[in-house]
Amino acid sequence: MIADILTVAGKELREIFTFGSEGRGRGKFSLLILIGVFGVFFPLQSGREWVTSSLSIMVWGWMPFLWVSGIVADLFAGERERHTLEALLATRLSDQSILFGKLLAALTYGFSLTWLVLLSSIVTINIVHGNDGLLFYPLETTIGALVFSILVSGLSGSIGVLVSLRAGSVRQAQQAMSAGMLVLFLPFMLIQFIPKAWLEAGANLLQNVQPAQIAIGLAVFLLAIEVILIAIAKRLFQRSKLILD
Amino acid sequence: MNAIQTSQLTRSFGNLKAVDRLTLEIPRGTVFGFLGPNGSGKTTTIRLLLGLLDADQGSAQVLGFDTKGQPDEVRARCGALLEHHGLYERLSAAENLDYYGRIWHMSKADREKRIRELLEPVDLYDRRAEPIGRWSRGMKQKLAVARTLMHRPELIFLDEPTAGLDPVASSALREDLSTLVVQEGVTIFLTTHNLAEAEKLCNQVGVINRGQLLAVGSPSDLRSKTSAPRLYVTGHGITSQIVNDVKGNNLVKRVQHQNGKLIMDLEELNRSHEIVTHLVSAGVQIDEVRKEKADLEDVFLQLVEEEKRGEE
Repeated sequence: MIADILTVAGKELREIFTFGSEGRGRGKFSLLILIGVFGVFFPLQSGREWVTSSLSIMVWGWMPFLWVSGIVADLFAGERERHTLEALLATRLSDQSILFGKLLAALTYGFSLTWLVLLSSIVTINIVHGNDGLLFYPLETTIGALVFSILVSGLSGSIGVLVSLRAGSVRQAQQAMSAGMLVLFLPFMLIQFIPKAWLEAGANLLQNVQPAQIAIGLAVFLLAIEVILIAIAKRLFQRSKLILD
Repeated sequence: MNAIQTSQLTRSFGNLKAVDRLTLEIPRGTVFGFLGPNGSGKTTTIRLLLGLLDADQGSAQVLGFDTKGQPDEVRARCGALLEHHGLYERLSAAENLDYYGRIWHMSKADREKRIRELLEPVDLYDRRAEPIGRWSRGMKQKLAVARTLMHRPELIFLDEPTAGLDPVASSALREDLSTLVVQEGVTIFLTTHNLAEAEKLCNQVGVINRGQLLAVGSPSDLRSKTSAPRLYVTGHGITSQIVNDVKGNNLVKRVQHQNGKLIMDLEELNRSHEIVTHLVSAGVQIDEVRKEKADLEDVFLQLVEEEKRGEE
C-alpha cells in the first residue's frame, strides 16, 4: 500500500510541478511569484524583525493552507471533471491508496513550498542584514514552522477532499474552499466585537501559559480535527459511490 | 475455465433495471462483442464485472474470482478502457503508460520495454514524449487501448472504443486492435453499437436491450438462427400490384419496396430463381439481382424489434 500511495503522490506532484504551453501545471510560475513576494519583498520590508519576531510563525502557519487549498480541488474534483477518475478506479489500486496518495501530494506540495519560500526569505535577510553573522529563526520558531506547515497542509488537504468529493467541478470546489477560509478567519474578524472584559480575562489566562504550551495545544487540536476529517473522507471515498457521481 | 461467468446478474437504479437477470459464459481467449443501443445496460455490465458496482441480485465470476467478494483480485488481472479514455492530457504518452505500469508494480526496464512494444505497432512510439493534450481523438484512443494492455492483463474490457471517431480513425483503431489482439492473446469484452466492428473483431457476440440478453453466439450463428436469406431485385415496372403478388408468395417472408428496389426475406435462398421468373413474367425489366445473407445489423434490429413486440 505504501508503494501505491507513493506512486499516486509522485504522479500528482509531477503534474503539479510540470509546466509548459496550455497552462500545464501552474507550479513553476506561481512559485516564482511566491518567492518574489514572501521570499524577497516582505523580508526586505520587515528587515531583521522578519527573523526575530515570534509573529512570523503565523505567516508560515497559514501560508500552506492557502497553497494547498488551491490545488487540492484539482486533485479530486479535477480528476472527476476530466474523466480520469473512472479509469483509475478500474485499476488494482485500493480506495485508500488513491485517497492517501493524493493527500500526500497536497501535503508535500504545501510543506515544500512553505519551506522553499521560508529559506528564500532567510537568504534575502542574510544578504541585506547579515553583516554580523548568520540570521535565522530561533529554534522554537523553526520547530513551530515545521510542525504547523505540516499540520496546516494536512488540514487544508482534508477539508479540500471533503469539499471536492461533493463539488461538481473544480471551480465549485475552489469557491467552496474560499468560503471555508472565510469561515476559518471569522473568529479573528469577530474579535473586535468581544466585550473588553472577556478579552482581558482571556489575556490574563494566557499570561500564565507558556507559548510552547499554546502551540502544543493548538497542534493537538489541529491533529484531532484532521484525523476526524480524514476518517470521514475515507468513508466517502469509495468506488461504488464515486463511480455513480 | 471461463473468463467471465454470470448468473442472473441484476442491477437497478431506482425503478430502472439497468441489467436484468444477465446470464453469460465467455470462454478464455474469446473476443466477445456486447451489442446494444445506448442505455441498454452495456456500461453497467462492465462496471459490475469489474466490481465497481455491486449487483442487487445474482453473481458474476471473472477469471475465477467473485466480483462482489474479490473485486481487487478481478481488477488486478484486468485492463479497462471505459466510456472516457481517462488519459492525463498534461502528461506525455510515455508518462501516461509509465504511471499505469507503476500502478501494477512493473520494473523500470519492463515499463520501458512494454511502452515500446505497445506504441510501435500503432505508430505512436516516436511521439511518446509529446504531451497528449493536442493529439487527435483517434490517437488518444489508440494510446488508451495501449494503456489497458500495459500490465499484460488476462482480460480487457473496452467500452465503445471507436465511439466518437471518424470512419478513418475507427477503421485504423480496429486494425490496431486486431493486431494487438493477435499479439497479446487476451480475452476481450467489447461493447459497441457498431455492428460492423463487432462482425470484424468478435468471435462471439451477445445482444442486450433494456438490460436483458436477447441472444448470444457467434456472428454467423446469430445470422443463421435469427435472419432469413435476402434477395435484392432492382429494375423497372415494379408496381404495387406486383409487390402485393410477391407478398402473397409463400417463398417470401417479408417484402420492402424502396426506390425501385425490392428487398425480400426468403424462406429458402436456393429457390430464388422462382421469384425472379415470376417477376419477369409479370413484366418487370430487371437490372440487377443480388442474393445475400442478412448482416449483423439486420439480426440486431430484428432481435430488438421482436423484443419490443413481445413486450407489447
